Amino acid sequence: MAPAFPSGDDRADFGTGEHKQFSFHDIVLRNRLTALVVDGVDFCRLVEQGFLRSCGLETQGVNNGDAAVELIASGAKFDLIIIDMFLPVMDGLETTRRIRALGERCKIVGVSAYIGENDREAFLAAGGDVFSEKPVSPEVLIPILRELDGQYSNI
Amino acid sequence: MRRQLAIMRQSLFDQGYLDEQFIELEELQDDANPNFVEEVVTLYFRDSARLILNIQQALERKPFDFNKLDGYMHQFKGSSSSIGANKVKAESTLFREYCRSANAEGCLRAFQQLKKEYATLRKKLEAYFQLARQTGPLETASRPK
Repeated sequence: MAPAFPSGDDRADFGTGEHKQFSFHDIVLRNRLTALVVDGVDFCRLVEQGFLRSCGLETQGVNNGDAAVELIASGAKFDLIIIDMFLPVMDGLETTRRIRALGERCKIVGVSAYIGENDREAFLAAGGDVFSEKPVSPEVLIPILRELDGQYSNI
Repeated sequence: MRRQLAIMRQSLFDQGYLDEQFIELEELQDDANPNFVEEVVTLYFRDSARLILNIQQALERKPFDFNKLDGYMHQFKGSSSSIGANKVKAESTLFREYCRSANAEGCLRAFQQLKKEYATLRKKLEAYFQLARQTGPLETASRPK
């Protein structure tokens, strides 16, 4: 049975000493995967792209929603898009809507410093797939990458 | 000195200043990016100093624009979480709760505490990285016991 996608708001509680299930070094990709990171804060984008690269993905980063939409509209293709909900000018929700309106069907993960059920519902309604607290953890990301890589296809 | 560095690092986790996210950053550090963590942390303090100033200025204007304050804190928490700044992150959450309940006094108190935790973290990390530069980085990003 294929593992279900994580809900995005379950993270191993480091403070209780629970052993974390995943590390970003745990995954070995069989295929070339690409990701776009949309985050208005330069060092946050650096960190997020760093994690994805350590998992073996090729990444691009943009610092606002308009640039993300333009990139997709220009024909750029990604297996995964990670969007911060709090973006300058056009927020993450509107960015997600516009990307979906272009016909892009790749996996979209929304990240936010604060996550509430209303925020999650709004993101899913906008066309997003997984909503997670920022920064996105290995527990959230690794199962997504494995699914994109087809590692669950024989289960 | 290596032992001193390791003890200093351990205490940052034991005292709750840093969380697992910091270890994830350390695991991104390699020969190609030997100073990655310090570079990221430096960028964080540069970015967050600007936000602290914005919040400070917003708290000097009456009545408080709680929406604007909430926005600044949203950014601040996201940035702080991204480097594993555990205590600062917790104070950000408390501040935001006061914002959401439009509690001006609570916001002021929470902000003072947040600035205190932020300054302490900055001082500790500066000392840590200064020692790390003298010692050379620890070989593995070990999870604290």
